[in-house]
Amino acid sequence: MIPLNFYLGLAALLFSIGLYGVMTHKSGIRLIMCIELMLNSANLNLVAFSSYTDTLNGQVFALFSIALAAAEAAIGFAIFMAIYRMHDRINLDELNLLRW
Amino acid sequence: MVDLMLLAPEIAIAVTGLFVLVTGIFMSPQAKNMLGYLATFGVLAALGLTVASFGTEAVMFSGTVSIDALSQFFKLVFLVVALLVSVAAIKYNEDSEHIEEFYALVLFATFGMMFVASANDLIVLFCAFELASLATYALAGYEKQNPRSLEAAMKYFVIGSVSAALMLFGLSFVYGATGTTSIPLIAANSGLLVDNPIGLVAVVLLIAGFGFKMALVPFHMWAPDTYQGSPSVVSALLAAGSKKMGFVAAFRVFIVALAALQPDWQLAFTILAVVTMTFGNVVAVSQTSVKRMLAYSSLAQAGYIAMAFVVMTPMALAGGILYALAHAFMKAGAFIAAGAVVWMVTSEKRGNLEVPDHLDNFKGLGTRMPIAAFAMMVFVFALAGIPPTAGFMAKFVLFSSTIQAGMIWLAVIAILNSALSLFYYARLVKYMYFLPPEGEKVGTPFPYALALLLAVAGVLVIGIWPEPFVQWAMEAASVLV
Repeated sequence: MIPLNFYLGLAALLFSIGLYGVMTHKSGIRLIMCIELMLNSANLNLVAFSSYTDTLNGQVFALFSIALAAAEAAIGFAIFMAIYRMHDRINLDELNLLRW
Repeated sequence: MVDLMLLAPEIAIAVTGLFVLVTGIFMSPQAKNMLGYLATFGVLAALGLTVASFGTEAVMFSGTVSIDALSQFFKLVFLVVALLVSVAAIKYNEDSEHIEEFYALVLFATFGMMFVASANDLIVLFCAFELASLATYALAGYEKQNPRSLEAAMKYFVIGSVSAALMLFGLSFVYGATGTTSIPLIAANSGLLVDNPIGLVAVVLLIAGFGFKMALVPFHMWAPDTYQGSPSVVSALLAAGSKKMGFVAAFRVFIVALAALQPDWQLAFTILAVVTMTFGNVVAVSQTSVKRMLAYSSLAQAGYIAMAFVVMTPMALAGGILYALAHAFMKAGAFIAAGAVVWMVTSEKRGNLEVPDHLDNFKGLGTRMPIAAFAMMVFVFALAGIPPTAGFMAKFVLFSSTIQAGMIWLAVIAILNSALSLFYYARLVKYMYFLPPEGEKVGTPFPYALALLLAVAGVLVIGIWPEPFVQWAMEAASVLV
């Protein structure tokens, strides 16, 4: 059996890649992909813990969070669609009306 | 057996939300204006049901939902905010094509916040948290022809989703170390987290995740932009409602579930509270947009509430909880007053249209919109903590408990901050009452005036007759410690 730490390491790696992507990318679509990566690394964690602690809560939690991630992506794409209609592209660096 | 009557307020809100959404599809644009009254009625009913059920305690649905004094108190806070927002939005949404969507989202967000307040399980907590967040992302971008509103929604969405991911990652570690998602069972097993690197990682991730929602510095960068760019009524919901949701979730997770890790998170909250209140007040001084200034002042207020995590005596927690209620009235009211000015500027098409909530547009508001100006004055004085307002009572309870607990340095910092905040609040009052008006009298539209007077009444009642509210807050705090 693969040790639990391998799963945790993989999840941490995916999470870090996602966080790095969120901080460096300017395109809205890539941003949503990176956010999905972060959420899914947490799901991996939940499922791994669920299997190693012999409880089902983690898998249930992961199912709920998958559904929520989908809803979140839907809202995100809707917002980016509205931005696209206004600016003809989704470059987040160009949105800088609000600042002090 | 589950007694559904205990969930009557939530059911009332959810049913009203769905009903508004479905009936709106079949109505003509003129007839849709009545949906606002319908939503207001639903919120009033839920408010009545919540107040009627004060004092009941129950754990439902296999221990995943807990009705107790804390959840009842915060439900009251969220419903008050929803009531003020729905009333004011009757005018804001007049003759809009999307009224049903607006009210459905407001009600669903309120529903999510109410469930966060009574969550007794991490799964329920996370789902309810996300429900409220998703609804408010969409609301922030409600004016989809307005680039500012879209930018606000984009920033809120990106940072909100990242914070949700951080929170979920942290919750997964809590679950992994304790093997359960039930908050009382985590508290019982929390010995497993002490001196365990997983516990420390979880605390860091959860502070970041909740810190975004509570808008504590350095997790605040979305808040000023979002509060400024969103429609004012939505800013009211975000600053007064959504932020309190972050606090009640943090109360449940840190103080109840992770009590064993108190030394770890207490230190973090000490730093966050001091930095947040100082940063918020200092930056607010130089703002020319009133909504942005209110956003920074709202950061400062979050810093005061976070003092409850630092002091951790029952009295301090009661102070923090009472502050949440007071802040709901003050901040929702202040944003709605700013919304009335934005309405005046955009409908008259004169003044600073680029930034409709610019300080210059508040010149002579005392003669142009007497009710809005008076209400705004009450709110900013309450936010500064001047008696006899709710802000004074909440600060009094919180700061005196800090001194009693021996943390005089913290109380001194907080009081100095309050003094600093008076500067920019008084400047707003000067603009409203001592500078000449640039335009004739407009008068405050009835829905705005009603919402503002309700909020003024709340601020003054808590300020003049605080005993029952302090008592309720004490009962709510007794759930935590």
